[in-house]
Amino acid sequence: MRAEAPAPARAVKGRRWEALLWLGPSLALIGGVVFYPAAALVRASLGRYSITGVYQGSVGADNYVRLLQQPALSTVLTNTAVWVAAVVAVTVVVSLALAQLLNQPFPGRALVRWALIVPWAASLIMTSKLFVWIYDYYFGALNRLLTSVGVLPRPVDWLGDDATVMGAMIAVGIFVSLPFTTYVVLAGLASIPGEVYEAARVDGASRWATYRRLTLPLLKPALLVAVVLNVIYVFNSFPIVWTLNDRNPGFAHDTMVTFMYKIAFKSALRDVGLAAALGVVNVLLILVAVLAYLRTVRWDDGEAAASGRA
Amino acid sequence: MKGVLAAVVLIAAFAVACDRGAGGGPGITVVIAEYSKDHTRGFWQALAEQYTKQGGPKVDLRIIDWNSIDQQVTTMIQNNQPPDVLNLNSFSSYARDGLLYPAEDVLSPNTREDFLEAFARGGQYQGKLYGLPILSSARAFFYNRDLFAKAGLEAPPKTWNDFVQYAKKLQALGGGVIGYAMPLGPEEAQAEWAIWMWNGGGDWKQADAWAINSDANVRTLTFLADLANRQRVTQVNPGKTNRTDGAFQLFKDGKVGMVIGFSPLAKQLDAEGKVKYGVAEMPTTLGKPTTLGVEDYLMAFKKKDNRDAVKKFLDLYYQPDNITKWITAEGFLPVTKSGLERMRPNAALTPYLDALPNARLAPTTDPAWDRVKLDVQQNIGAAVQPGGNPKGVLDQLQRNAVAAAGAR
Repeated sequence: MRAEAPAPARAVKGRRWEALLWLGPSLALIGGVVFYPAAALVRASLGRYSITGVYQGSVGADNYVRLLQQPALSTVLTNTAVWVAAVVAVTVVVSLALAQLLNQPFPGRALVRWALIVPWAASLIMTSKLFVWIYDYYFGALNRLLTSVGVLPRPVDWLGDDATVMGAMIAVGIFVSLPFTTYVVLAGLASIPGEVYEAARVDGASRWATYRRLTLPLLKPALLVAVVLNVIYVFNSFPIVWTLNDRNPGFAHDTMVTFMYKIAFKSALRDVGLAAALGVVNVLLILVAVLAYLRTVRWDDGEAAASGRA
Repeated sequence: MKGVLAAVVLIAAFAVACDRGAGGGPGITVVIAEYSKDHTRGFWQALAEQYTKQGGPKVDLRIIDWNSIDQQVTTMIQNNQPPDVLNLNSFSSYARDGLLYPAEDVLSPNTREDFLEAFARGGQYQGKLYGLPILSSARAFFYNRDLFAKAGLEAPPKTWNDFVQYAKKLQALGGGVIGYAMPLGPEEAQAEWAIWMWNGGGDWKQADAWAINSDANVRTLTFLADLANRQRVTQVNPGKTNRTDGAFQLFKDGKVGMVIGFSPLAKQLDAEGKVKYGVAEMPTTLGKPTTLGVEDYLMAFKKKDNRDAVKKFLDLYYQPDNITKWITAEGFLPVTKSGLERMRPNAALTPYLDALPNARLAPTTDPAWDRVKLDVQQNIGAAVQPGGNPKGVLDQLQRNAVAAAGAR
């Protein structure tokens, strides 16, 4: 017996090697897709680059210091907060209602569910261009509609008027975020067992009380996923803000992501290093925001709800 | 186990193969900006094939749209993989960074001597030609003949006073008619501004120093702001209107009396046949109107062992047949003496060809211009918005230009 012991040990050792080989491709993928670009971004943020992109040496934290000195930074931060908060909040509320509707059986439900996917499936640039035309001062459908029914006395330059640009962008942001969020909530609704509602009915709970005390708490895990993913997604959203805001001078309506792009390629700064520093800050910002959110809603409770103990 | 190992080796081999294909191997990378969906790729593809057939190495041809070409080229250089030949609207920063061959290294003397004087000068950095002119365009004053007739106007305006009166009469036609479409949004504000600036007696520089906030320039920008806010003869929010999808679109739709256009706009108008238009010289405060000439460049990047291949490629492009064929197809203007002779007979081009000798170029020979241009694009629009401050905007642009002159 003793004499045989080393053999399995060798086999395990061999397997470990084999396991590494099997894991290899995915490890390489993670390394190549996640860690290498992250490291490259950090390295770029510590360097100085000529306007053409030629590396001119390390400058330490200088890019970060200069980033904090950008006069537009506070405007852009405020824009980003408004953009993310408004799009995510309205999207979630509307999605809750939409999902409730789509969860009811009615004729043509399958069709409506499919139709909801369209804004999600269309390319963001195309959707944004479409809205540029809808919002257009001279040719746009929106102005024609609102002036002909008398809501507006005269047309509005939705994308040029400083008072309306952000609202116009937020509306498009909500429009393209609804499908995904609604489907997440729908999936959440489908996972709630019917007996719970039966029990509520037997107890004589009103519909509103059932929704507030039963459905919403049981939806918590789904909502959590929807909010976290939407925050990340909306924060990083480039095409909508870029396309709808491309006519406006300066940084008055930019978010952190379009600000980063303009710093790198479109503004007089034309500075890859400074833009990379902003890129690093963006990653940290989104991390902090998501962690703070998870803390306030207490992720653990969500787990408990998911396992059916709520 | 053996299978896995074999797979790993295969993947590694494949990766090495790919790497060689993309990087150092024989062949040259040519990056061209997309001037039009219809003609750009077709022409350069054919040229690349001709080049390879004549014994040149393989050409990795990349046609990139104008919106992302700066970004892609910067990234290529940042990753130490510059193209061999690049087409762009600026060159001097690349020359300053020591990335380019001077023309004498990569062009035969005949080709160099064929360049029109002004464009050869516009491609020089510190006295040497680096930016090889690839094509040019000249702006001209477009007016809508039908709207002019309706407003009882006969000839296009010659002076700024005429211009204001005409714009008022056109605007007064009502029904959404716009007197003058002024695109000072970020897309091409520096071009719109330069034309007005020169005809108002100002300039970008005085005696080699930036003079963006000169008195003449403040007067001109105030004049433009007044057109928008006091006379109200422009489209809504001119500081936030781009050229292609804004001012040109409105003119093509027949809503606009006057706009500054160029030959590709004429081509589109002819194709659509909707608007009857005339082309004239700019109204001016000076004795003689000035317009903006735009020169785009080809650059040859210094890389190991690529000089002969690049030289062959450039000489092929600059063969009069090839360059003229492309410039004609895209609706632009020639940069060579032989090209000018060949395109002369085309009557539609006469107004632009006539304007070409008097056209002025942006100060592209100064590397600081690459930043100043972006600064003007991003900020000058604010001056013509309601409550805008023309002098304040120009003062800030001037400060930034002086700072950019010292920066890299």
